[in-house]
Amino acid sequence: MKDALRSFADQIGSEGPVAVAGGKTHWGVGGWPATGTKEVAAPVGVVAHEPAEMIVRVGAGTTLEELRSTVEEGGQFVALEADDPSKATVGGVLAVGLGGYRRLGWGPVRDSVLEMTSVTAGGEVLRSGAPLVKNVTGYDLCRLFVGSLGTLALTGEVVLRCRPIPEAETWWVGEGADPFAVAAGLYRPLSVLWNGIHTWVGLAGYRVDIEDQARTVLGRAFRPAERPPPLPGRLRRSLTPRDLRALPSTAGVDRPWLAQVGVGVVHCGEAAAERIGPVGPPSSGVWDLHRALKERFDPAGRLNPGRSVSGVAAGAGV
Amino acid sequence: MTTAALVRDLGVALAPDRVRAGALELALYERDASMLTGQASVVCFPTSAGEVSAAVRVCRDHGRPFVPRGSGTGLAGGATPLGQVAPVVIVTTKMNKILEVDSEQRFAWVEPGVLNLDLSTAVAHLGLHFAPDPSSQQSCSVGGNVANNSGGPHCLLYGVTSAHVLAMEVVLADGSVVVLGGIDPEPEGLDLRGAFVGSEGTMGIATRIAVRLTPLPPCVATLLADFSTIHDAAAAVTGVIAAGIIPAALEMMDATIVEVVEAYVHAGFPTDAAAVLLVEVDGLRGGVDVCTSDVEAILKAHGAREVRVAADAAERAAWWKGRKSAFGAIARIAPSYYLHDCVIPRTRLVDVLDEVGRIASSRDLVLGNVFHAGDGNLHPLIVFDRRAPGVLEKVHEAGRKIIETCVAAGGSLSGEHGIGIEKREAMDLVFTEVDLEAQKWLRDAFDPEGRCNPEKILPRGGSRCGDISSLPPGAWV
Amino acid sequence: MTLRLDPDELAACVSCGLCLPHCPTYRATGEEMLSPRGRIAAMRAVDAGAGIDDAFDRMMQTCVQCRACETACPSAVPFGRLMERTRQELAPRSVPAWQRLGYKALGSHRSLVGLTVLGGAAQRAGLVPHALARRLALPKLPMRQARLVPTGVDVWLFTGCVMDAWQRRVHESSIEVLDALRVGVALPGPGAACCGALHVHAGLHDEAVRLAGRTMGAFPGTAPILVDSAGCGAALKDYGHLLGRAGAAAFSARVFDIHEWIASRADQLPPAIDGAPRRRIAIQDPCHLRHVQRADSHVRTVLRPYGELVELADEGRCCGAGGAYSVLQPELAGLIRTQKVAAISAVEADVVASANPGCSMWLGAAGVPIRHPMEIVADAAGLHRRRWRPGRDRKMSRWLASSGKFGSGWKR
Ligand SMILES: Cc1cc2nc3c(=O)[nH]c(=O)nc-3n(C[C@H](O)[C@H](O)[C@H](O)COP(=O)(O)OP(=O)(O)OC[C@H]3O[C@@H](n4cnc5c(N)ncnc54)[C@H](O)[C@@H]3O)c2cc1C
Ligand code: SF4
Ligand code: SF4
Repeated sequence: MKDALRSFADQIGSEGPVAVAGGKTHWGVGGWPATGTKEVAAPVGVVAHEPAEMIVRVGAGTTLEELRSTVEEGGQFVALEADDPSKATVGGVLAVGLGGYRRLGWGPVRDSVLEMTSVTAGGEVLRSGAPLVKNVTGYDLCRLFVGSLGTLALTGEVVLRCRPIPEAETWWVGEGADPFAVAAGLYRPLSVLWNGIHTWVGLAGYRVDIEDQARTVLGRAFRPAERPPPLPGRLRRSLTPRDLRALPSTAGVDRPWLAQVGVGVVHCGEAAAERIGPVGPPSSGVWDLHRALKERFDPAGRLNPGRSVSGVAAGAGV
Repeated sequence: MTTAALVRDLGVALAPDRVRAGALELALYERDASMLTGQASVVCFPTSAGEVSAAVRVCRDHGRPFVPRGSGTGLAGGATPLGQVAPVVIVTTKMNKILEVDSEQRFAWVEPGVLNLDLSTAVAHLGLHFAPDPSSQQSCSVGGNVANNSGGPHCLLYGVTSAHVLAMEVVLADGSVVVLGGIDPEPEGLDLRGAFVGSEGTMGIATRIAVRLTPLPPCVATLLADFSTIHDAAAAVTGVIAAGIIPAALEMMDATIVEVVEAYVHAGFPTDAAAVLLVEVDGLRGGVDVCTSDVEAILKAHGAREVRVAADAAERAAWWKGRKSAFGAIARIAPSYYLHDCVIPRTRLVDVLDEVGRIASSRDLVLGNVFHAGDGNLHPLIVFDRRAPGVLEKVHEAGRKIIETCVAAGGSLSGEHGIGIEKREAMDLVFTEVDLEAQKWLRDAFDPEGRCNPEKILPRGGSRCGDISSLPPGAWV
Repeated sequence: MTLRLDPDELAACVSCGLCLPHCPTYRATGEEMLSPRGRIAAMRAVDAGAGIDDAFDRMMQTCVQCRACETACPSAVPFGRLMERTRQELAPRSVPAWQRLGYKALGSHRSLVGLTVLGGAAQRAGLVPHALARRLALPKLPMRQARLVPTGVDVWLFTGCVMDAWQRRVHESSIEVLDALRVGVALPGPGAACCGALHVHAGLHDEAVRLAGRTMGAFPGTAPILVDSAGCGAALKDYGHLLGRAGAAAFSARVFDIHEWIASRADQLPPAIDGAPRRRIAIQDPCHLRHVQRADSHVRTVLRPYGELVELADEGRCCGAGGAYSVLQPELAGLIRTQKVAAISAVEADVVASANPGCSMWLGAAGVPIRHPMEIVADAAGLHRRRWRPGRDRKMSRWLASSGKFGSGWKR
């Protein structure tokens, strides 16, 4: 893998606009790369899965599907989701930094990242974090890079946290229940999704617990579901968990949307997104910090030119 | 400009009686719980973000660095004032109000000086708590937890502080105020919140923090297992994890520690055991029962002589009190201690503990181990009497060897206490110059003039050999 | 000048800060100057030659000597001893003549009673300035008090100074409760007028030793000595250390907090009166019961049959009374009391139980409905009736009625 990383760094070099192409499932997020941007590919493949350490080292170009099937053999999984796991790459998912339906139970994408090996704008290999489940050695560049759309450094290899596959994961769907009361009544649910009419509930863990929760909290209003519902659209909005309550009036029930109750993410299409309105831009002070970071990490602006981290959640196209 | 002028201007910015420069008082703020000593020029106690900002502006105008300080329980010298000119220490202890508790959305806005345990106590009636639980939780501040990205026994399952901070208001080194992160899940832009957490007070002063509140588990079982060898105990730790179980907490104490702790809490720890594991599982009743019996079986299979399950909340509390007061209780053996904090791959526990034991015994040093075994976070504790001739050199040497051993085993410098001053010169054991340079970019973007808590985390250049004995005088004394 | 403290005792502090939140003065201010860790560091500095200045003196005088830090300290720093020694060294410069006079008065029962009557008269005549009364947290001083009557020779009851002068009804209740247990109570002569606790705290070592010697003389024989004032009990139990004599240690071994002694006979306590409302009793732990005598659980054992016990959420933090502390450090004591009152009003209680007269007076002055556990037991078990005194009982029933109202007033 050392060689793969080396050649990744060589491809990136130290001059000229450059971007890493993954599965291109979210290629337009944050803006399209400027014309003339060189596209490079990150190393592919699972380098090592160490179940006893609960970590996996993987090339950033590896698809989520490949990662899943390798880690599964050791009875574990990695808490990353994408709508098209056979195409989406680890590096891409981390660069975009947005989680899927199970964020309520799994936590945000960034909490799964333990170490990142990236290439700087100067073409040098940069390591941050450590291949350990706990570590506070030095500044947390990993968190800075997750969701940065490759505008600060380009990631070649990462170490991710693995978790044991729970005894069971089940989904339920019901109509007419108050999703907020359901979410509050459940103990550490995996997911509670709501489209204004239906509520889907994901539960994971010990079978006895799931049965108990289904009986005592979900009750008759819910019936088993095969899987969570499909995405209503490729856009998303970020609201406070409480503001979700108003969605039937703000977004309307006629336009498709799906809210992650307890989290605040709303998946939707153009129509609902427009009704909800754009996400506010960062304050000027925060924006100054962004500029100061970009000036230091990529003074020439060669990493992913044309992309901006403001507007990611607004999803400028797909 | 003179210190007198600085005191005057700070007095105008805050209130004269909350700005102190008496020699005795300054001496009390020259270090944190680490005993790495520096020198403060002024100590001040703001009561609001506005005052923090005003104080920081005064520092800027006077060309003075400043050091944020919470409860001063840090163990790496993070709050120890160092700088070309003696810094102003800005203490957050008078900013200790819980501003808002939102039980529906499960978060709270708090001032930085709120004590970790006070927050959990205050929201317990809502069935909630603040999950990071450092052993110092009764004393340490939420601001300090954020700055150090603190962990604790239960972070094995619940995650360290970073996973429990939604947003914060920060006064930057130029006195401006920004809010990083947000209550909504995907705020625009970079995760500056995540970058700030763990920055050890070098990127600004958090003046208001939105923390996530976690439901209290409906059912908890605490197991105490005793082993006749450390090896068995370490193997049992690996066994539990290998079985696909992540307990809420998985802690180990060796014989030295168990003995002093038992003398303090009288919790019924087996003082003849070579090692004791404290395992907690929580969740819903059914799962906890299944998990408890699985864990019990694994512990027994790995040679546990006895596995006890806490009979009631009082017994559980006594066990945890014992675990959490271990660092202090060690002073019953000898008055000084040097506590390490390294992380290693969990599967290397046995060899590293062996080697660490050898490092201490070959130097005639008393060593105890009390640590977060579940995530491989070691806390070797060397106990000594600094008045014994030559002992300090031996302690320093052993400390360096311990760090080297952990790094050689694939570990890292700190699992939760941070780098501070203590380990900055060891940073190049785990990072290249490129790595460190990039970390400096982050720091500089927040504080281009290096006025916020200078000389912390990053090595000073110059000595780059990871030599810990090149510390300021007074280290660990 | 140095403090001549035991270097091992000083070295035992590892600066971990685990004591900080338990220290009332640190809690009130958030300042290291007012924390155990800071005070120890300062003592160390002085013994290393830093010299004593006003700042140091203030650090030491502001300590309530509640010894909560001692209970909290995992490395067993004997803070109380360090502070007592330090105060002793500081006494010549820090205790002014007027204070010494006050301490002298405590040692003399007659002058205290005399002053009390005078003070009571002055209060009634409106002669005591309001501010002074508040500062001293004076209760309404009793003008006339019933004489205590001994009931036997099984145990001694320590009567003390302030308590006997100002709160004799507590002693009455104690005797009544012991009477119900069929335990005869002997009363000491005037020699037991003062235990010397406040003198120890102030660093007036010689005076304390003199009072201790006199007190010991007042309790001949081997009968247990029961104490219903937490502060006095702690002092009597420390005579062995104070005097450093085997005889003193033997004397101390005879001393019991009254709850401690009754707790082992709790099954013989009389039942509560039929039909009496079960009141919610909040427990205020006097520091010298909890941190010094470590007898806080016994108060609960004794009270449990008579009401529903309610714990405060502040882990027994000090109320700021601290013997003479509330008089000498009124500002800090007030801040500390405010926090205590907040903790009390956060629980819904009808009455607060405190086993120390100083705490009772100090919290009572802030409007807290506070009673000694022995009074609560005597009320609830209807023991006052055994020695019927019309005037008193009318007052008592009036109090009971009003405390019911007061109780609801305490609800949040
Ligand atoms: C007995 C003992 C046990 C401990 N156990 C643990 C443990 O289990 N896990 C663990 O992780 N740690 C532990 N610690 C270390 C320490 O308690 C933690 O690091 C704690 O979070 C520090 O909090 P504090 O308020 O004392 O911070 P301080 O020591 O005052 O400061 C720590 C750092 O934070 C910075 N800082 C403080 N407040 C702010 C703010 N508002 N904004 C920006 N920066 C700020 C300071 O500059 C400094 O760099 C222990 C310490 C002791 C003494
Ligand atoms: S007195 Fe005890 S608890 Fe307080 S800082 Fe010192 S060692 Fe720690
Ligand atoms: S005795 Fe009480 S007031 Fe004094 S330092 Fe200890 S805790 Fe604080």
